[in-house]
Amino acid sequence: MHDITSLEERGIPGAFVASSEFEEAAVAQGRSLGFSPLAIFVRHPIQDRTDAEMVAIADRALDRVLAALVAPAG
Amino acid sequence: MTDAAEWVPRDGLVVVVKRGCPTCNTVLPALVELREARRDLVVVTQDDPAFPEGLGAIFDEDLRGSHRLGIEVVPTLVERVAGENRRVAIGWNREEWQELSRVSDLAPDLPAARPGCGALNLEEPHASRLAELDSRPLSARAVGLGDDEDPIEACFTRGWSDGLPVVPPTAQRVRRMLTGTARPPDELVAVVPPDYASATVEKVAINAVMAGCLPEHLPVVLACVEAACTEEFNWHGLAATTYFSGPVVVVNGPIRRQLGMSWGINALGQGNRANLTIGRALQLTLRNVGGARPGEVDRATLGNPGKLSFCFAENEEGSPWEPLAQARGVAAGRSAVTLFAGEGPRGVVDQLSREPESLSRSLAMALRTVAHPKLPLGFDAMLVVTPEHGRVFREAGWTRQKLERRLLELLQIPAREMIRGAGGCAEGVPASMFEDSESSTIPKFRPGGLLLVHAGGGAGLFSAIIGGWINGEGGSQPLTREIQ
Amino acid sequence: MTTLLDPTGELSPVTRQPLPRLEGLTGATIGLLDISKPRGDVFLDRLQSLLESRGAKVERFRKPTFAKNAPPDLRREIAERCDAVIEALAD
Repeated sequence: MHDITSLEERGIPGAFVASSEFEEAAVAQGRSLGFSPLAIFVRHPIQDRTDAEMVAIADRALDRVLAALVAPAG
Repeated sequence: MTDAAEWVPRDGLVVVVKRGCPTCNTVLPALVELREARRDLVVVTQDDPAFPEGLGAIFDEDLRGSHRLGIEVVPTLVERVAGENRRVAIGWNREEWQELSRVSDLAPDLPAARPGCGALNLEEPHASRLAELDSRPLSARAVGLGDDEDPIEACFTRGWSDGLPVVPPTAQRVRRMLTGTARPPDELVAVVPPDYASATVEKVAINAVMAGCLPEHLPVVLACVEAACTEEFNWHGLAATTYFSGPVVVVNGPIRRQLGMSWGINALGQGNRANLTIGRALQLTLRNVGGARPGEVDRATLGNPGKLSFCFAENEEGSPWEPLAQARGVAAGRSAVTLFAGEGPRGVVDQLSREPESLSRSLAMALRTVAHPKLPLGFDAMLVVTPEHGRVFREAGWTRQKLERRLLELLQIPAREMIRGAGGCAEGVPASMFEDSESSTIPKFRPGGLLLVHAGGGAGLFSAIIGGWINGEGGSQPLTREIQ
Repeated sequence: MTTLLDPTGELSPVTRQPLPRLEGLTGATIGLLDISKPRGDVFLDRLQSLLESRGAKVERFRKPTFAKNAPPDLRREIAERCDAVIEALAD
């Protein structure tokens, strides 16, 4: 989150992807930093997933990733 | 309004003491007798709940009750009627205490009178804390910082800075700044373009804190903000221009000395807190409240360093002339600010002219180049005449008006020199402007377009030109405003 | 918590807002920053091909360790080369 915060300060819009386990920590960290970057949470766990499972997680997260990159039309 | 401590009676008798006061100890017999005679006596102790013993004393631990009662000395005896102090006896004085309490023969063994000690609620840190309770609530939005956020960095990341660190505007600092004016915090000072947001006294104070001002600087900043937001000065246009200019402030009157402003050596340079923080506070206010930021509304091609701060005082003491503000209609001896939409200063050297005519010609030659030698009328200018040059005019008896008139005369320029294409230069004015360009002349400056100011140190045969922004319909007029 | 008084015209929200997003993906350079936790690279590989098929250019970056912030040089590089950035995958 610090990295995204720092990049936003340099004018680069960003977002971070984290597992749902990270959500509480993200809120606390945002309060501490005085800034809450856009966050995309994916289903826990991550570490033991197969490649195929990770691809599926990425596919499911795509809509939210796109929303975090591109402003809504109109 | 301070919350009244619950024990402050609406009607009755109150005595306030502290163990640390010798007289309070001396008068213990009197307190005992008083309590016997007046069951409604409330005994209040400021420092030690165990003192005085046996009188059911109330411990005014946070001193709010003492503050509410207006206690300045202990012991003090107060007669309360209908929620107000009807009568007060300060220190021990038998006659006064007897009269007030309507109890006779009080403590006959005590001396007739004894002075008291300073009350604890007047000592720091209590006094400041209690004073803050009285002050009106501030209405600016409170911005909570992250626990890990450095307050100075936080001001940068929120876009409040002008590129240099600002003093973080805590409520305590803003309250202290507000002591610099009697004007209420919620009074509207100006509506600031381009966002047309309200600058109240409080908003200006917040920005003055950030700039590093002292409370005594605030009235000057307030006058500057008022002046800048007038239609004549046209901050809206100036903020959005591609040109170099920013608001330049010249201060006149007794306030210069009161604030220790600089009008002599290095008057346009760095180092003087009043000069620099006042100029900075004006610009922080205009940009933070009004919303004009570089790259957004502020589209200046180059800008100039004065857009951080450009404020100086006129050297009235050594001046050949009356103060600028006075020449512009402010009564003599009054303090005022004059705002001018100006770029950075440019030097003019003349180390040989001893006669006013010759010196005028030097200055006119340099003034011709404001904006461009071939562009007339559209730009104003401020000429800062320094003491060594000023002496030439003073010794020859040239008034401000005379010098101004002579400069404008000298700056009647042959039309043929100003025409587009003349001198092999495309810039200039169209030939069609003139019926007969061979014989016409055109003035460089409009009437009133040249302001003369006297400032600077005593050594140096140079003066300075501060070129203006455009005047006229879409441009800016210099604006003088008295300081309240 | 330290509180400061707002010096502005108060026309925008108090909390620091994220920057506006890009107008479109086509022709934009998206940085994908791998924080070096397990499986993150597979996730980002997939994201890269999905974004590229939608017209974006993708640049890949990797932090030396997930435990610390990205080094200043890396941040600078990302800022210079990219229009937007996605950091993944914290768990």
